[in-house]
Amino acid sequence: MAEKHAEFIVLGAGPGGYACAFRAADLGCKVVLVDPRATLGGVCLNEGCIPSKALLHAAEVIREAGEISDWGIALGKPKIDLDALRARKEGIVEHLTGGLNGLATRRKVEVIRGTAKFTGPRSIDIDGENWAFDQAVIAVGSSPVQLPGWPEDERIWDSTAALDLREVPKRLAIVGGGIIGLEMATVYSALGSQVTVVEFMDQIAPGADSEAVRILHAALTDQGITIHTSTKVAEVKATKPALVLRCEGAFEGNIKADAVIQAVGRRANGPKVAPQAAGVEMDARGIIAVDRACRTNADGIFAIGDVTGNPMLAHRATHQGHVAAEVASGHAAALDTDLIPSVAYTSPELAWAGLTQLQAKEQGIAHKVASFPWAASGRNLSSGGGDGLTKLVYCPETHRLLGATLIGSNAGELLAECVLAMEMGATLEDIALTVHAHPTVSETVAFSAERALGTLTDL
Amino acid sequence: MSDVIAPPSVRALAREKGIDLAKLARDLGRSTIAREDLEGGRSVTGPAGDTSYWDVDHSQYGPVSEEPMSRFAQVAAANLAAATALIPQVTHHDRADVTAIEALRKELKPEAQARGVKLTALAFHVKALARALREFPRFNASLTPDGKTLVLKDYVHIGIAVDTAHGLMVPVIRDADRKGLWQIAAEIADLASRAQARKIGPDEMGGASMSISNLGGIGGIGFTPIVNPPELAILGITRTETVTVWEGDTPRPVPMVPLDLSYDHRVINGADAARFMTYLAGVLADPRRMMV
Repeated sequence: MAEKHAEFIVLGAGPGGYACAFRAADLGCKVVLVDPRATLGGVCLNEGCIPSKALLHAAEVIREAGEISDWGIALGKPKIDLDALRARKEGIVEHLTGGLNGLATRRKVEVIRGTAKFTGPRSIDIDGENWAFDQAVIAVGSSPVQLPGWPEDERIWDSTAALDLREVPKRLAIVGGGIIGLEMATVYSALGSQVTVVEFMDQIAPGADSEAVRILHAALTDQGITIHTSTKVAEVKATKPALVLRCEGAFEGNIKADAVIQAVGRRANGPKVAPQAAGVEMDARGIIAVDRACRTNADGIFAIGDVTGNPMLAHRATHQGHVAAEVASGHAAALDTDLIPSVAYTSPELAWAGLTQLQAKEQGIAHKVASFPWAASGRNLSSGGGDGLTKLVYCPETHRLLGATLIGSNAGELLAECVLAMEMGATLEDIALTVHAHPTVSETVAFSAERALGTLTDL
Repeated sequence: MSDVIAPPSVRALAREKGIDLAKLARDLGRSTIAREDLEGGRSVTGPAGDTSYWDVDHSQYGPVSEEPMSRFAQVAAANLAAATALIPQVTHHDRADVTAIEALRKELKPEAQARGVKLTALAFHVKALARALREFPRFNASLTPDGKTLVLKDYVHIGIAVDTAHGLMVPVIRDADRKGLWQIAAEIADLASRAQARKIGPDEMGGASMSISNLGGIGGIGFTPIVNPPELAILGITRTETVTVWEGDTPRPVPMVPLDLSYDHRVINGADAARFMTYLAGVLADPRRMMV
């Protein structure tokens, strides 16, 4: 009954899906890539990583323009043209998604705009059209979690709506102090909103190193953002003048806001493709379990990215995408690492990978900690950077690096060195003896290692 | 995080080659694996050398047939090659007068029949070697793999190499210095028959002070056994021969057993070996000394 046939079909054109499709094409497969969006790139490119970074860049310039007055340069209050800013952001997204189209065309990947659903172990329906396939990859991502019991209201946004930049609300409440919530707080605070963040856990950026998070918390507070941790939103009332959030916990009281962003996590999109029709197992949260080769329980069907569960991060999806394409082409590939870096592109940035001090302690892993404050980094101070910290967790016996947390300007860029060090099994000595350019903030990584070894002369 | 340190590219190569990195690290006794460890397929513990000229199509010279080496035989071969490559071995030859032992065995034959135990010459060799090891503690020792420490043993266990249908096995007589000849003889018979049936537990092998390779029942006038590490020496025995010994002007026929001791020269010197063998031959010549 199948009318069309695909050798290798990828469902979802996000960073995992397109990477998988392109890699498979490069390995000689005939590839079909299906996505309901008009453009390639998925959430990441269209309404996630990339547009948020564009807005965060604007926010950072606004902030720096204000701070430069301390250097004797007065730029005055910035005039913000929201339409132009939105257009700029959309221009960047269009440029990148357009580039992806070119990459797909060059690889002869057949791109189909449509909604796909499995109908059997080797068949898929795409908008009423039957397709048979040899191998398939589920890369359908995740969607923002909608909190139950909230009223229907235009003023309640998810992260996608927040990135649409409809307006700059006077009072903005953000429910959820994870990476997405904090980035939105950073953007809208710079654009002029009075931002209040409500986080259920006892710290913002739950899971990150608490010492680094204290620095972030203080910096965000300095920027005028109000943060309530250990606080739960018990009820939301939509009244004409404002949305009213009744809070319980460490903060008891009402928060009135002109807009509220829900940023309490993301839910896997597994159910959208009816994987059970192909015999693919999916749990109650819509997550499809895979092994390190990205194989589902069903023969010939792979899953990659957010739909396979946490951590829901684009760079994990990309690597999984390559693995799935290679395994499908007969190679012995696997994602054989747990080192998936996390970065919050706040001001300052918070970046970490591997074990935090607390995780090492909770897991009973022998460890020690060494850190270097950015207040002692010449490069950080001379480029207007504020408080920051580089913190390494290491094995006291082997001196191997077990984890790293960095907070400060461009911390996300510096993290790469630490991740590479961990992948290579580098010791503190390796890091300390590697010559780091002066003056750079990257020196703080080497200085932390030197501090642990007792060879540091910069403190 | 894995205990094995290998860069991502090495992990990927291991996957492609189907190599278990954790197992390789255990085999190499290391925690770090480099690309070179995965390439070439050359045994790291074995000797390096060009063996390509061994790869000959023998059938071009005449009819041949093939028989696969069992896993057991392959492991044994690798261990023997490593022992030969890594241990500087010397073999010392001597012989012992077994007139008294032969007389004693003859004398005890009725009792042996009554007990249902065959009192073999090998039992005397085990007992005599145990006595010698107590006298020469540096022979009852092992060198740590790094060559930095000599581990001296306050027990005497003797391994017996047994030729079985599926290969060589070395069951061990525990505390041979504290056991009587009857018990040693009975244990040898029991271990040898169970080795033939491949019914020896792993706890019945290993941990020997020294091993004996006895070819006396087959023949030969001497050979050079290979030390079985971590033991420091091995005693080879071949067939007892009656030789003419001159006592003054009088020739006398004496049954002599040839003894060959291969030893690890890193620990044992030639003079030590000569003294050890002289002592051992003396104990064998006068079995009463086994008791005192």
